[in-house]
Parts: sequence; C-alpha cells; structure tokens
Amino acid sequence: MIIHLGHYLALSCVLFSIGAAGFLFRRNVLISLMSIELMMNAVNLTFIAANRWQPLVTSADGTATAAIPHHGHLFTFFVIAVAAAEAAVGLAIVLAFYRLRKTVRTDAADMLRG
Amino acid sequence: MNFLLVLAPILTLAVGGIVLMMLDAFQKEDGQLAMPTALLHFVAAAAALALWQRGIPAEGAALVAPWLTIDRTGLFLAAVISVGGALASLLAGGYLAEHKMDRGEYYPLLAFASAGAIMLAQSGDTLTLFLGLETMSLGVYALTGFRRSSARSIEAALKYFLLGSFAAAMLLFGVALLYAITGHTDYVGIAQSLRHSAELPNDLVARAAEEQVRLVGTRISIFAMVLILVGLAFKIGAVPFHMWTPDAYEGAPTSTTAYMSVVVKAAAFGAFMRIMLVVFGDAGSASGTAGWPAILAWIAVLTMTVGNLMALTQTSVKRMLAYSSIVHAGYILLGLLTTPREGVGTMAQASVLFYLAGYTVTNVGVFAALALAGRRGAEAVSFDDLAGYARRHPAAGFALAFFLLSLTGIPPTVGFFAKFYVVRATLDAGYTTLAIIAMLNSAVSAYYYLGVLVKMYMRDPAPGAAQASPNKSFYIVFTILVSAALVLHMGITPSRWLNLAIEAVTPAAAAAPAADAPAAP
Repeated sequence: MIIHLGHYLALSCVLFSIGAAGFLFRRNVLISLMSIELMMNAVNLTFIAANRWQPLVTSADGTATAAIPHHGHLFTFFVIAVAAAEAAVGLAIVLAFYRLRKTVRTDAADMLRG
Repeated sequence: MNFLLVLAPILTLAVGGIVLMMLDAFQKEDGQLAMPTALLHFVAAAAALALWQRGIPAEGAALVAPWLTIDRTGLFLAAVISVGGALASLLAGGYLAEHKMDRGEYYPLLAFASAGAIMLAQSGDTLTLFLGLETMSLGVYALTGFRRSSARSIEAALKYFLLGSFAAAMLLFGVALLYAITGHTDYVGIAQSLRHSAELPNDLVARAAEEQVRLVGTRISIFAMVLILVGLAFKIGAVPFHMWTPDAYEGAPTSTTAYMSVVVKAAAFGAFMRIMLVVFGDAGSASGTAGWPAILAWIAVLTMTVGNLMALTQTSVKRMLAYSSIVHAGYILLGLLTTPREGVGTMAQASVLFYLAGYTVTNVGVFAALALAGRRGAEAVSFDDLAGYARRHPAAGFALAFFLLSLTGIPPTVGFFAKFYVVRATLDAGYTTLAIIAMLNSAVSAYYYLGVLVKMYMRDPAPGAAQASPNKSFYIVFTILVSAALVLHMGITPSRWLNLAIEAVTPAAAAAPAADAPAAP
C-alpha cells in the first residue's frame, strides 16, 4: 500500500476530531488544554505532510522544485511556539482558578451566568 | 528603511511595549504608565495617518508582502485600533487606580495586544493572521484575569481562554487544509490556486483524474472555509459562538472590557473582511444564495435577535452591554455580507469601517462612563445601582446617557449614521428582509438602553441601598471627554468620515477623488 497525502489528511482529521470531542465533552480543564494541544498537533501533521507533497514545478533548466519550498515547515514552528505560549498563559489562569476555587473542573466555573 | 516605515504602527507598539516593561521594572511606585501607554497608542495612530497622508512607500510595502498587506484599509483599522487602545489605557489609568490593582504589567500587555491587533488587521498571509490573532488574544486573556484575587475575573479569563484557543485551533486547521490543497499560505496565492486557472488536460484519463482531484479539493476548501468562518465568528462574538462574550465582559476589569469590545472586534472584523473578500471572493464562494454571505446572513440574524432577547432580561448593566456588543456585531456582519455584491461592495466595506470606528469611540465612552459611576469596593454594575444617579450627579449621569443614546442610534450621535450606512448598503444589495430585521432589532434595543436612562433620571434608589457616586478620576473624565468629542464630531460630520472610509477601501490604483463619493444626507 502506498501512503500518500490523503492518508495523512485522514489521520489529522481523526486527531483533530478526537481533540475537539475531548474539549467539548470532558469537564477537566487540564484535559481541555491537552485536547487543544492535540488539535494543534493535527494542524502540524497536516502542514508537514502537505509540505512533503507539494506539487513540483519544472524550471527552465529542467530541475523540479517544490512550488513554495518550506512554508509548511515554517508554519509548524510558529504553531509549536505559539502553542507553548498559549499553554503558559492557560496554565497560569488554571492555577489562579485552582487557588480560588480548589478545583479544576469547568462546571465549577458557574459564577457568571444569565 | 522603507520596511521600517510601513511597519511603523506595529513597531511603535511592540518596541514601546518592551520599553514600558523596562519602565515598570525600574520605577519605584506602580501605576504611572497609563499616560505613556496612551501616548504610545496615539503615536501609532499618528504613524498610520502619516503613512496615509504621505502615501505608502511602494518599495516598503513590497518588502513585507505578502505577509502584511499595507494598504489604506489596514491603515484605517490601525488608526481605529490605536485610538481604541489609547482610550482604553487612559480608562485603565483611572479604573485600576480606583480599585487598587494598578500593577504595571497591565500596560505592556495592552501595548503588545494592540500590536497583535494591527498585525491581524493588516494580515496578508494566514501565518500573520494566526500570529496576530494569538498575540492579541494572549494579551487580552491575561488582561481579563487581571484581578487575580477575584473568582469572577479568573473565571471570565478561563472561559475566554478555553473558547478562544478552541476557536484558534479551528481556524488553524482550516488554514492547514487550505495549504494542503493549494500549497500556499498567502491569501492571494490561495485564492489563485482555488480558482483553477490552469486548463484541464486534453487526455481523457488524465482529465478524469484531474477532475476527481479538483472535486475533492473543492470539498476540502468548503470545509476549510467553514472552519475559518467559525474561528473568526468566535472572535467577534457572533451567535451561536457567543457563549464566552457575556461572561468574559462581565468578569473582566471594566477597562479590559472596553478594550475587548472595541480593539479585538475591530481587528477581527478587519481580518474577516480581508480573508473573505480575497481568499473566498470568487463568484461561487461569495454568491449570495449559496456562498459565505448566505451563511453570514443566518449568523447575522441570529446574532442580532438572540443578543437582543438576552439583553432584555439582564439586571447588570455591564452584562447588558456585553449582549449589546453581540447585537452590534450582528449589524456589522450585515455590512460584511453585502461586500461581495457588484456595485455596492465599496459602500458596504466603507460602512463596515465607519461602523467599527464609530462603535470604538462610543463603546469606550460607555464603559468609561460606567467606570466613573463606581468607587472602590462599590462598583456600579446593576440597573438598581444606578437609580437616581443622574439626578444626584447630572454631569456624570449625562455622560452615560449620551453614550447610551449613541448606542441606541439617536442622531446627532455617530451611532445613528453607523446603522444608517450599514442598513442602506444592505438595502442597496437587495437584502430587504435583513434590513427590516435589523431595524426591528434596533427598535427593540432602545428598550434596554433607555431602561438605564429611566433608572438614572426617574427612579429613586431603594431605601438603604448603596448609592452610586462618581469617583473623581482625571483619567476617566479625560477618556469620556475625548470619546464624546469624537462621537459628536463623527455624528455631526458623518460624510467626512464616510469619505475617509470610502478612500480607505478604494484600491490605490483606482483611487477616485473624494468628490465622487456619494454625499451623506
């Protein structure tokens, strides 16, 4: 069996869906954070795989190169860095929440409603 | 040097934010940073205006393309964002000091968030879209939870953070899918690849294979479009993706609420308009019956109606204003969804920009006037807190009433013309039903805005209840005066501002003289 871009896209769709489902159905903030990380990683996988399968263009001297060389790789590094920054801010908020409420369950966040 | 020039608004705020951090680290006492931060924002606004006046250096703009699109639309939004940020930091100077949480880190965060917002509004590539969005959002999450000892503030930050990052992940997955099928991350490149300019091969087998690939590509691109649309709808707080909005607005410190409601909204709408028009601007995706305008029409109707119905039942003025900001997002969406229409597109885009500018000054003003009514330990948040307020304190009460009238849309305030232009663009585009729904909603919204006025002018506080009295903060009064001046100026000479907005959306090559622009009534 030949593995091609479609397989990677299917896998990242599955990963993304697991992440989204985890985010929507679990009530623990830490699990929610992990789910978001999983969604981000599905994005990274898509970028890496898509970068590998870029359509090749043939230039005048006959050498084939990828149309846009490394934008997918570049994007992945940014996503990793931003995900780390996001986790830092998120964990700080969770910590502050835990200090005040002694729980990390999202259903405890019920003071603001209406 | 030219690229430094075209990046001046972003760089001012980013470098200024670092300087603010140093100032904060080396100063003895907390809370002297509001004025420098406001000045920084005004310098960024001035830089954007100077670029507009002197003409954008083409060489510099080419250097940062396609990552950032330096055009007049972006500069207009950069100016709006900077003015909104400046007013919000002035408000913070008064509000945070009054409530004894004037810690220095508030101001650098604000400056960085504004830099991200401008990057988002000027983005020309999905990478800068994502980076701008996250730079802005991470700052605002921290500003929302700034009152660390308050469970409400932290809860607001938690909800905002969770839903915000979920939305960002959705947007990102949409972007990744677009990259997978087009090989481009920049808006123009994606758009060109999506339109399949290449001829189909003549060979039958190759042709069938190519058609199959294109069919799959089209399906994926529709899925990606929906993901991006949902991600951005979360950021502007459109129903049904609005769940975080009232909670985050209510729990956050009032200065942050003001910032969130204007800067985040202006930047997100700017990016929304650009990505929808450039990437999905082809006839199929932008068709009024089957494309994104049709989806946005439903979202806009839901946003206006649900937001209004929820606002009617609120007892807290701050939370009512949160729902009101949802309703206003609905009006702006109306302008947005008419932008791809032939003939009315320019006016529709201009009406969106005008609305964002008018809404920015009005909403900072209304939150400033509300913050003025609260003292340490006794914030005025509910309708009952404000009973008799305007009779006891006529000037402060009138300030709040004035901005509420602008939100209602009563001339000669800017709120009237903002709504007028959007509804006119909707009517011109032939969406009569949508325009009628918008006007009905606008009438309903008068009930809760004027409800505050009734409380302030005609009701007495319950015996023994706390009576709101204004704090004497210079910063807040100054914020109110500047916002009120702008609201009045935009309301009295709306055609001038509309012409500016029209100039902003007219491509530089085809820039028509301002005299061509349709005159305002």
